[in-house]
Amino acid sequence: MKKILLSVLLVLPVLGFAQSFQVNLQGQKQTAMGGAGTGVAMDEAAVFFNPGAVSFLEKNGVQAGISPLYLKTAFRENGSNITEYNKDKIATPIMGYAVFGNPQGRIRFGLGIYTPFGGAMHWKEDWTGKYAITSLDLQAIYVQPTISIKITDQIGIGGGLVYSMGKVDLRRAVPLTLNDGRQGDVKLKGDSHDFGWNAGIYIKTISGVSIGITHRSQVTANVKDGDATFNVPDALRSSFPTKFSAALPLPATTSIGLGFYPSAKTTIAVDANWVHWNKYKELAFIYNNNDRIENTVSPRNYHDAAALRVGIENQATSKLALRAGVGYAFTPVGKGYVTPEVPDANRILLSAGLGYKASERFQIDFSFLYENVKARNETNIETGLSGEFKTVAYIPGISLSYKW
Amino acid sequence: MKSNIIYQSIFAVALLSLASCKPELKTVTPTQGNADFSRYIAVGNSLTSGFADGGLYLDGQKNSFPGMIATQMKTVGGGEFYTPFFTDAQADGTGYKKLSSFTAAGDPVITDVAAQAVRDVITIPDFGKVTLMTKYSGEINNYGVPGIKLGQITYKPYGNLNGYFERLLPGNSPTNNTAYIDFVTEKPFTFFSLWLGNNDILGYATTGGASPADQPTDKATFTALYNLAASRMTANGAKGVVATIPDVLSTPYFTTVTLAALLKGVQASAPTVTSLYIKTGAGDVRPATAKDYFILPFSSAGLLGKPNGSGIPYGLHPLNPIESQYVLDEAEAAKVADYVTYYNQTIKSVAAAKQLAVVDTYAIFKEYAAGKMVNGAEVSAAYITGNIFSLDGIHLTPLGYAIVANEFIRSINKTYASGIPIVDVTKYRGVKFP
Repeated sequence: MKKILLSVLLVLPVLGFAQSFQVNLQGQKQTAMGGAGTGVAMDEAAVFFNPGAVSFLEKNGVQAGISPLYLKTAFRENGSNITEYNKDKIATPIMGYAVFGNPQGRIRFGLGIYTPFGGAMHWKEDWTGKYAITSLDLQAIYVQPTISIKITDQIGIGGGLVYSMGKVDLRRAVPLTLNDGRQGDVKLKGDSHDFGWNAGIYIKTISGVSIGITHRSQVTANVKDGDATFNVPDALRSSFPTKFSAALPLPATTSIGLGFYPSAKTTIAVDANWVHWNKYKELAFIYNNNDRIENTVSPRNYHDAAALRVGIENQATSKLALRAGVGYAFTPVGKGYVTPEVPDANRILLSAGLGYKASERFQIDFSFLYENVKARNETNIETGLSGEFKTVAYIPGISLSYKW
Repeated sequence: MKSNIIYQSIFAVALLSLASCKPELKTVTPTQGNADFSRYIAVGNSLTSGFADGGLYLDGQKNSFPGMIATQMKTVGGGEFYTPFFTDAQADGTGYKKLSSFTAAGDPVITDVAAQAVRDVITIPDFGKVTLMTKYSGEINNYGVPGIKLGQITYKPYGNLNGYFERLLPGNSPTNNTAYIDFVTEKPFTFFSLWLGNNDILGYATTGGASPADQPTDKATFTALYNLAASRMTANGAKGVVATIPDVLSTPYFTTVTLAALLKGVQASAPTVTSLYIKTGAGDVRPATAKDYFILPFSSAGLLGKPNGSGIPYGLHPLNPIESQYVLDEAEAAKVADYVTYYNQTIKSVAAAKQLAVVDTYAIFKEYAAGKMVNGAEVSAAYITGNIFSLDGIHLTPLGYAIVANEFIRSINKTYASGIPIVDVTKYRGVKFP
């Protein structure tokens, strides 16, 4: 099973979208329930959603899943009659979890591999905003070994060390005209390896309501010695940089979740997330050669932002579970800071899904998430790019799990 | 198993149908408002013709701002728009300047591309040489004539003295007898742009105030002719847009070669030099100050420091000062500013009286010259690297003309409640680098 997980990881680039470049597709059950799952001991994905709940899982298991993400953004420059769209590009965030240890014991172990941050935004090479961005591929895959301890029969705590593997590939046009009349361009490509942590507490109250509180730390993705490939006129080439460094904060998230169980077959999960985006003040690229160009320091000035999620699961038959959810995510991006690489705005999330128990051990889960990002008309204070963005995303997903 | 197939099918169908669900923005329907764009004509000088890099050539003509506006007007009932293009075989037109390389010190090396469309050079008595170009005999909507002054639009023999105008006329110089204003109004039109008056001061400025033939057009004459032009253009009920005269002194032609830069160059080999000497328009010789403008060609003229017959280095001593033709001294610059201000007041008041749209290119050029981000591209009046001024330091690059086109479109839309869509400026280039 582990082998399968790894091969999935190697084949697929992982990118996504949920709130700015945060991705919330960490488990198919939870995704189908509006992304809620902090306050319930649902399945192996608790490694991500609440390490404290892992020790409350009834069985050990492994699961692997994927959420092919189709994101379409429309842009129209103010005053223009032409609407431009980003290119079709399916991003494929993956997730995989394993939980082992003695289910009757107090200590359980877990391993999670998931994609909490990413973005895949590709515009046409000659679109109106090409000097701001033509494409951004960004991903951070977290690997999280986890330990979870059931302190009492009502309280569990857990924590995990996060190892983050980040990758960035940003391209844009450079306003220098080559001899053939085309514009120059630049590709900034690099990777990062950083650490963080994830911890949570899970409480089963006497009233039957379960409560979860978690905090996932900030990971600052430090790109050092990244490749800056400038395609500029020959006469200027030697004065342009070849290397860059950058630091991108992947913000901390604090969550509180509740689980309600109105009947033996029904679970309702309610989550509130607080994402500490205020650390994302600027996106700075420091170059190794400043003869021709300055380091670029683009203000972002994000502010903290919340997301609210509600989901319901009903075990319709012994084999079939039905799920649905809604969510609302507030944008961390203030007025004047909307950029075409992440044309963010407040968004509504609608989800549905089902789980099918093929046998006592095998289960397959499907989810479908629809995100509708509010239209936003903005003039960026840095680039002057002025126009209206509108984004929708359609994200089906599937996972397979095996329990013992 | 059966249910699995059903679920799979549901997912497949859902994916396929959703893949076609694009986000929609509110539909924009371009409208003509209360103007009629069925025949738009562009009246003006080099800036209207698409002149760039010190010449008129096909690539520049194709990127003229009236051509861009006309393309956008087609969405709101605009008709065909004809520019008197040079042929592909003579695409280099009058020839133009090209950036070939940079010196080791980083100075641009600018070379000339030879003319292809010159048919003759004749001498007109009491005037001088006139370069004649291959005739253009087709339809015309872009009447831009490089070099023309407002002061010359009613002068009938002008078609014999300006090769660009002669090219558009049926007759050969010196037999022409059609004034510019009569020529452009011959055929009916519904909409016009009128951007004249720049050369009435520009020639004075670029020659350092030293050319007797290029003194500013008299203020009263300017006002009278501008009124006449506006009356003639609107005589048949056409609506239109006019533009003010840009701030000549903020163009790279006057801002690139500075006293500080010249002194620095001299001091590299002669550290004791602290002053450069100029001969002013009034005939005085004095040390140059930061308020005097050196013109762009002075840097390539290679005169500075050259000893004359008596061994006195050029510009470094009162006995061999920099000639007046290379310097727009403080008094001359003040004169330029004064005339431009006056001309622009005239243009604005005439536009107001005739209820025409007006583009304040004076203010706009100043704004962009100071440095501005345009859709993520930084533009400024910096020579070569600023992206908006072409290699001659006065005329614009395609990107610069696209910015101008959008300003015209915005002004037209505002005045006539029309909805001409703007041009995507990022589709247009700046200065070509080697």
